[in-house]
Amino acid sequence: MASLSSDEWRTICDKFTNAQNLTEVESRNDPENDPFRSKYKARELLREIYCSLKSFEAGEGEEDSGGESGDQRPTEQPVDGQREDVFGQGFSGDSPAGLRAAKLGAVEYYLGVNHVDTEELSAGREHLMNCMKQLERCRVSCENVSLFIHVRNQLGILWAGRDETETAQGFLETAESIYQRYMKEDGSPPTDMTEYFTTEENLLTHQERTKRFELAYTHTMYYLAQVYQNLGETERAAIYCHSTLQRQLQLNQFNPMEWALNAATLSQYYITKGRYMEGRHCLSAATVISGLAGEVPSEAAAQESETESERREQLRQKRAEIARCWIKYCLNLLRDAKKLLEDNIGELDTDRQEELKRERRHEEEEEEKGRKSALLFGSEDTFDSIASLEEKVHCLLPLDFTEARAVFLVGQNYVTQAKEYFQMDGYVTDHIEILQDHSSLFRALAFFEEDLERRCKMHKRRVDMLEPICTDLNSQYYLLIHRQLMFELAETYSEMMDLKLTLANRQADTQSLDNHTIKKFNHLCSASAKYFQMFLDSLCSPEGKFPEHLEEEVLRPALVARFRVARLHSRLISSIPSVQLENLNRSLENYKYVVQYCEAHPEAAPAVETELELSKEMAGLLPLKINRLKARMAANNSGMPLLTD
Amino acid sequence: TQLAASGDSNSIKVFVRVRPLTQGTGLTTDGDQNLCLTVTSPNTIRLLSKPEPRTFTYDHVADMDTSQDSVFSSVAKNIVESCMNGYNGTIFAYGQTGSGKTFTMLGPSELDNFTDELRGVIPRSFEYLFFLINREVERSPESKSFLCKCSFIEIYNEQIYDLLDTASASLFLRENIKKGVFVEGAVEKFVNSAAEAYQVLSMGWRNRRVASTSMNRESSRSHAVFTMTLESKESINEVVNIRMSQLNLVDLAGSERQKDTHTDGSRLKEASSINRSLMCLGQVIMALVDVSNGKNRHICYRDSKLTFLLRDSLGGNAKTYIIANVHPGSKCFGETLSTLQFAQRAKLIKNKAVINEDTQGNVR
Repeated sequence: MASLSSDEWRTICDKFTNAQNLTEVESRNDPENDPFRSKYKARELLREIYCSLKSFEAGEGEEDSGGESGDQRPTEQPVDGQREDVFGQGFSGDSPAGLRAAKLGAVEYYLGVNHVDTEELSAGREHLMNCMKQLERCRVSCENVSLFIHVRNQLGILWAGRDETETAQGFLETAESIYQRYMKEDGSPPTDMTEYFTTEENLLTHQERTKRFELAYTHTMYYLAQVYQNLGETERAAIYCHSTLQRQLQLNQFNPMEWALNAATLSQYYITKGRYMEGRHCLSAATVISGLAGEVPSEAAAQESETESERREQLRQKRAEIARCWIKYCLNLLRDAKKLLEDNIGELDTDRQEELKRERRHEEEEEEKGRKSALLFGSEDTFDSIASLEEKVHCLLPLDFTEARAVFLVGQNYVTQAKEYFQMDGYVTDHIEILQDHSSLFRALAFFEEDLERRCKMHKRRVDMLEPICTDLNSQYYLLIHRQLMFELAETYSEMMDLKLTLANRQADTQSLDNHTIKKFNHLCSASAKYFQMFLDSLCSPEGKFPEHLEEEVLRPALVARFRVARLHSRLISSIPSVQLENLNRSLENYKYVVQYCEAHPEAAPAVETELELSKEMAGLLPLKINRLKARMAANNSGMPLLTD
Repeated sequence: TQLAASGDSNSIKVFVRVRPLTQGTGLTTDGDQNLCLTVTSPNTIRLLSKPEPRTFTYDHVADMDTSQDSVFSSVAKNIVESCMNGYNGTIFAYGQTGSGKTFTMLGPSELDNFTDELRGVIPRSFEYLFFLINREVERSPESKSFLCKCSFIEIYNEQIYDLLDTASASLFLRENIKKGVFVEGAVEKFVNSAAEAYQVLSMGWRNRRVASTSMNRESSRSHAVFTMTLESKESINEVVNIRMSQLNLVDLAGSERQKDTHTDGSRLKEASSINRSLMCLGQVIMALVDVSNGKNRHICYRDSKLTFLLRDSLGGNAKTYIIANVHPGSKCFGETLSTLQFAQRAKLIKNKAVINEDTQGNVR
């Protein structure tokens, strides 16, 4: 019987350690013109190990029966199809034949990885498939389950790289099910593959075994997340991203800031799907875990040392990023609530509000249930902190001003936090984006405010925060943001104007408006028109010429701005006929523009359907009004008394 | 036409240049006389792929025998002119190492003789810019004046180095409400003529080579950005009108080096078991978030330094040309295909002038 002597065995172990060292450590220092030098050396060692294993211990009785059982299988397995039988048939993992197969398989595995690393993919695949063949003879057990999973992870990577995502998916999903079944049926800390070639005294602790095994499975989750993403199955991909994060946390294998940023980003996926409970959970976890990265070094400490300075920068920046994700959470929650509650003219629908409030109790129960079934983050230490942070903001849509205000305040608090890092001087784009969100928070909150005077004040706050920046911003470098600001200011002034008019009409009871109110109204009206016009001017050529053809991205905003300018000019209040005439003419000119543009470019019409219809109507009506006014003016000039209508 | 400088030129223009076959350049393709492509018209190129050849269309395709002067006329002339009118311009060179990026941008490797007929886009741009400046000043010496500054930086491993001050530590990008994105602390050299600008350029280029050997930075892995800032002052009736513009000349890292980052769509990002970090999970999640639209979301991962610095050029109101350099040898087929595909994607980058038009119901 050819069996390995302990000396021979020690030689094999040494070779293996050497090969591992070459692969993982030395290869990093290989020269650029010989990048795989160490890996080639490692490959030679692995081949020698393989030969030794193959020649020794051959001829043992179990080898033959093992060969037969292997032969009975179909030789070609297109995709990994071993979901169930790997637990039932074959050698038991701790039998000599089983161990031998696993060892040979492991060498094939390492050879496979080695070839893949050195860009010999076909050879790599062959070795990995040989490993699979060796394993076919064995039942899954604690001796080989780790290898079962590792080889499939590698094959998953390999096939995905060849654009055969479904094949990759097959291997990875099998790895997943093997893990799950193993944990259910056995669950003892499995042998790590490196231990096949380790002398007794160097075996790993149970704790270390578990750690390595769980890490391999975490990788399976991580690869599956990518596979599903490549297949366009975003929902599933999100679940696997979530599981990956969850496992990193449980197994304590993570960098706090990196983890927190990933969780915060995942929250953005959930909020874009309207799943606020999950979004809130990710964000709370992100905030808590980012806290584990430690205190931000003080400014003084940062000045003392470069590493402290870098750490300060990193921590502040990343925490500000997480704050910005929270802002989006609050903003979307408010906006979704608004969308749900608004009637067809954009005001609060009180019947709907009542109805939703009645449904609320039911929703709350659902939330409780949902929480229990959802994947939850957190280890024992962090779980409570995450939960208590979650309690600070609702994840159900706010239904009235009080609830909306609570969400708003949380959002505003994060605005302050985010702005501390993203200051205007140094981070113009980020700073303005945060201000735009702040403005949007006010806008959404204003919807819930019933007191119109106070609602108007909220819009005034928006103007106050955006107007100075809009004036200062260099549009040569910030064209897009500048256009957004101009448009938003134009709309805000319009909104304020409407509110003022509603208020005035209410008070004055359709009597003539007092001078002060008219002045105020006209001011808001012209300010709105001014910003729409500034936006339109930003589209002009250097010579000040308005483009004949509007680019797709600005088509609708440009036509809408024209339409709004037309309306604003017709609404300006004046008692002087010549001014009235001027305003009406400008109004007509802009309505006509919309109509004529859509005639010349029929493809533009669908983008501004409503506006176009109204413009056509007004372009027909306004000339009559203008003529009437002209007639009145003529009559007036000729000494006739001014008619009152 | 000048109108092109702002209104209708939001899409990036792409110029493809095919280098001639040469021997003895150290390329693996030396001696390979089989071509993998043909230029079929001034704006199409046919790649002899299997089973079917593929045709790509660009703004301009230059064959092997195209002169440096004609490359300059098609690519840079217009951009330099619009810089004179106060608009920013950027020229990128993209392609595999050895495909002719440096030749196109600079000319033959020795930089001392810049009157050479083979000098590249950059020296020609300098000459033309100063020719235009001098002409303007001669026309109205009383009212017009110009100020020209140069900086030259290198981005390697997401760190910014100043090629005009090699002693400095890595620099930071910052933004200013008036002057946009800039590299804080980068040395700016005033120049009064094309020759002076050229001197600054050659000094930086030498430093880049020194850095690549002494500091272990691979120049094929780094991006070099040469920026010329032009300030023009015009006084008409005691009103002083100041205009600023920038001309960015960018030598991108060799395209073949980007394989290991993220150009390949389907490839899985592997976990590095050594530091136990699943480095790219964030990227996966990011891709998930990007798919869903309509909602307002924040992505925690910041732009790369290069795209941030040149944000204005990639879909802003600047005028941008990408020169995609390709090698015609059949051994370069793979790289050439990916360069051509990149260049085609680049054409899709447009200024997304999204307006917050909330009240109209179709937000962002």
